[in-house]
Amino acid sequence: MGGIATKKLSSLQNILTRKYPGVECSEFGDSIRLEGTLDDWETIVRCGKFAAKGGFRAVINDVKLKDFTAPPMRTPAVKDSALHGLTPDVLVIGGGVIGCSIARELSRWQLKVLLVDKEDDVAMHASSRNDGMIHPGIASHPGTLRGEYNVRGNAMYTQICKDLSVPFERWGNLILYREHRFGAAARFLFAYREKALGVPGKHLNRRQLEAVEPNITKEAVGAFEFPSSGILSPYKLTVALAENAVENGVQISLNTVVTGMDTEHGAITAVHTNRGTVRPRAVVNAAGCFCDSVADMAGDRFFSIHPRKGECCILDKDAGPLSQRSMGLIGLAAAFSASKGGGIMRTIDGNVLVGPDAYEQPLREDFSTHKDHMDMVMDKHLPLINGFNRGQVVAYFAGVRAPTYEEEFIIEGSARVQNLVHAAGIQSPGLASAPAIAEEIAKLTLGRLGGKILPNERFNPVRNASPVMSKLSLSQKQELITKNPEYGVVVCRCEGISKGEIRAAARSPLPATGLDAVKRRVRPGMGRCQGGFCSPLVAEILQEEGVETITKKGAGSELFVGNLGQEVRSDD
Amino acid sequence: MTDKQIDFTQSVSADGAVKLNSFTAEKSYDILVLGGGPAGLAAAVSAHESGAAVLLIERERKLGGILKQCVHDGFGLLRFKERLTGPEYAQREIERFIATEIPYVLESFVVDISHNADGNYTVCTQSAAGMKSYSCKAIILACGCRERTSRQVFIHGQRPAGIFSAGTAQYFVNIQGTMPTKRCVILGSGDIGLIMARRLTLEGASVAGVYEIKDMPAGLSRNISQCLNDFGVPLHLSTTVTEVFGTERVEAVAVEKVDERMNPIPGTREVIECDALILSVGLLPEIELANVLKIPIDPATKGPLVDQSLMTQAAGVFACGNVLHVNDLADWVSVSGETAGHGAAAYCRTPRAFSQSAVRLEYSKGDFLYALPQYLDPAASEPLTLFFRSRADVKGKTITLSLGGEKAAFSKKYRRLIPSEMEAVPVKALSFGDRAQYSIEMR
Repeated sequence: MGGIATKKLSSLQNILTRKYPGVECSEFGDSIRLEGTLDDWETIVRCGKFAAKGGFRAVINDVKLKDFTAPPMRTPAVKDSALHGLTPDVLVIGGGVIGCSIARELSRWQLKVLLVDKEDDVAMHASSRNDGMIHPGIASHPGTLRGEYNVRGNAMYTQICKDLSVPFERWGNLILYREHRFGAAARFLFAYREKALGVPGKHLNRRQLEAVEPNITKEAVGAFEFPSSGILSPYKLTVALAENAVENGVQISLNTVVTGMDTEHGAITAVHTNRGTVRPRAVVNAAGCFCDSVADMAGDRFFSIHPRKGECCILDKDAGPLSQRSMGLIGLAAAFSASKGGGIMRTIDGNVLVGPDAYEQPLREDFSTHKDHMDMVMDKHLPLINGFNRGQVVAYFAGVRAPTYEEEFIIEGSARVQNLVHAAGIQSPGLASAPAIAEEIAKLTLGRLGGKILPNERFNPVRNASPVMSKLSLSQKQELITKNPEYGVVVCRCEGISKGEIRAAARSPLPATGLDAVKRRVRPGMGRCQGGFCSPLVAEILQEEGVETITKKGAGSELFVGNLGQEVRSDD
Repeated sequence: MTDKQIDFTQSVSADGAVKLNSFTAEKSYDILVLGGGPAGLAAAVSAHESGAAVLLIERERKLGGILKQCVHDGFGLLRFKERLTGPEYAQREIERFIATEIPYVLESFVVDISHNADGNYTVCTQSAAGMKSYSCKAIILACGCRERTSRQVFIHGQRPAGIFSAGTAQYFVNIQGTMPTKRCVILGSGDIGLIMARRLTLEGASVAGVYEIKDMPAGLSRNISQCLNDFGVPLHLSTTVTEVFGTERVEAVAVEKVDERMNPIPGTREVIECDALILSVGLLPEIELANVLKIPIDPATKGPLVDQSLMTQAAGVFACGNVLHVNDLADWVSVSGETAGHGAAAYCRTPRAFSQSAVRLEYSKGDFLYALPQYLDPAASEPLTLFFRSRADVKGKTITLSLGGEKAAFSKKYRRLIPSEMEAVPVKALSFGDRAQYSIEMR
């Protein structure tokens, strides 16, 4: 290391000592590593973010929270050798929207691709726990990967959703403001970004705003509109990507966790899982909140993830027609902050999503919700639209974003490990960016594999999707029911989902085996009764399809403790 | 098949061709009854007996509604002067219904209702036989109610398997024969929750307790005594569940005492180990179909506003049973079904609009949770049953119904009135005074 780096290091250490006593920094490859112990998590994150400005490649934040031990990553109960000895060309770690997009992209080539995810289904973490907005790209700074991939990815979605039969609408979004002062200032910012990023947008005054959103309250005095903004169901998309990947030859192994890796001469030679050891030629790290751990296993530790949680609620379909576009109020500070502050958005299924908020906390897979956060989310956003109220809430949930301290995507081939490619630090707008990220990662992976790789001539981008009754015309419904009467039998009364649709979900290329997996594919249980009426019926259908133990979301989440007449007396 | 269930497959021709681009039009009826539980069955029979041509449409596989899964007894004390189980009660109603040979369809889901220019209604259904439409003069909504969910009472924490509504748990145990818990906490003291406390205990599970956020139970006194006290299940009033723990399956819940404004009291938190949280936190009329017709809803009952014959403000559309208001006893559900059935048949003979001069029921919201029928047509003469629930637990109060005449139409001193128990006031003959007044008072 040269003198400049040493100088950077000592000046950073000086400031850290002053601002964050007890934190030591050291060089770790090109990155900076922080160590020590602090009293609260917010400070640890602030410290890491501060260090991110120190001019190093990335921050590895090993500062410990006092009296806190991070719980180990939750791992599947299953242990077998189902994958033992496999030699895929590419192993994709992580079945979120990023991993599934990458796997599908790789299936365009004559490659053996294996995707593993530790959960019982794809899209179990951030990909089913976000607002489903395909951002236009306006929230990112020009010149950042987040901005660049967002704009490219956004443009790709019309075709992808058409190919995959995933409902997608470009209803546009509104960035609302409550002070004219802000409107005047932000006009320049957005005009610059529109031009630099190539995102179409326009300004609406209060009168124009009322004309397009008649139920908007007096909270907003004007807005910036971005019509390329879209909405889709992020979990339906992820499932569709996975299904299409399987149709094109990708193998997906769920309940599969990577437990370690062997490396030799700067290359991964073996990947250990709970289902055996596989020997891939290349590995793609798309492990979401755990992508820093995966990098570490491969001996390529150079960044850290700080889990940023958000909570959202869903309003009944009664509230759906009250607003057309996604919208959120922002102040000047929020315009430049890492997160976009949430808002309200009409979902693709006709509900309204409110939120999310954003807060730093140390747990990577804690999806609990809290009254204070939900109250804040509702108090902040419900007043935007006349007619929204708390009584309309049908569901709420939390998700955890996976940002780096640089608040930037890592889309690159590993500097240390020859056959490793990272799709890491993918946070908002990760969903919008996914197709563009996948394209780039596939290109990088092909480069790392080397040699001549032929296109997969049988690749078909069009998913063989099962019919969705609610999307069919009356005559199509008649025809379908004549062919298969189960499409006439309504199982989910709130959402009008038929038995045929549920059975199809259980028989799809990536079969749903639990209640939540069925719900993610075809929605029974997402309506106002939240599964009260339909969950027993869905359970019956899954049983008919050979699922022996009915679970909500995989082993451990069994619905039943036994049958009647069996000894079920509790142990105490 | 001994009954007269319509075989739908016949309406699809042999080569499978169905009439495309439209719903397959079926026969017209005077009255369509939407729902085959106790309300719909009674409504269909009484409409039929009053001479109307009726078709009953049921969305489930079998008639009987929620009674199918209510295997406990206590049904029919008023209607049959006997102690019946839910399925027994349902069976009597079903047998009466089948005997009338009223046609009915099962597993048929109403997807749309429209009001035609000629005053008739078109009801469109989806079933294994396709998309069908039926034309009728009148509709009786008998679609029952549904349970409030954990989300509607804002329970936080994690979202593992093991959070069930009491009715779902009841379906699991009584219909599917599966056990959803070994040790559970029940939130809410609604009747189904109390019944399930006993049912689960009988099946070998342990019920850690029933927790009720209010300072009085929501269910019937007889259920508190027979389902909790007799089985040693503790009832904790002014206490609620505030958090759920467990990633895959429920591992514990936190309960906290609440103050009179139902806010948790700091320092009262207790964590109870359990594998399930069962909710009995209220029932809501299923008014989805009423909403399709934009029928005005009473915020107090959460069901449609109706007149003395249970006609909603949409002429020709009647409501009965739990879609009208959540009843405490199935017997009253049947009674309201009969009222709606007679009313709808009368409507078919002489169509009428919702009377412009109908008088709105007046009552003090401080004294009553709700009361209905909410409107009375001064021109009407048939006897009526007025239902009400007291807002608070009160003793020695006199309820007076006045219709503007010199003498009260009804007056009775009640030993005790409690919100969980509905009161029915029979009014034999309507006699209005000079001024059209319709009010009940509690003194």
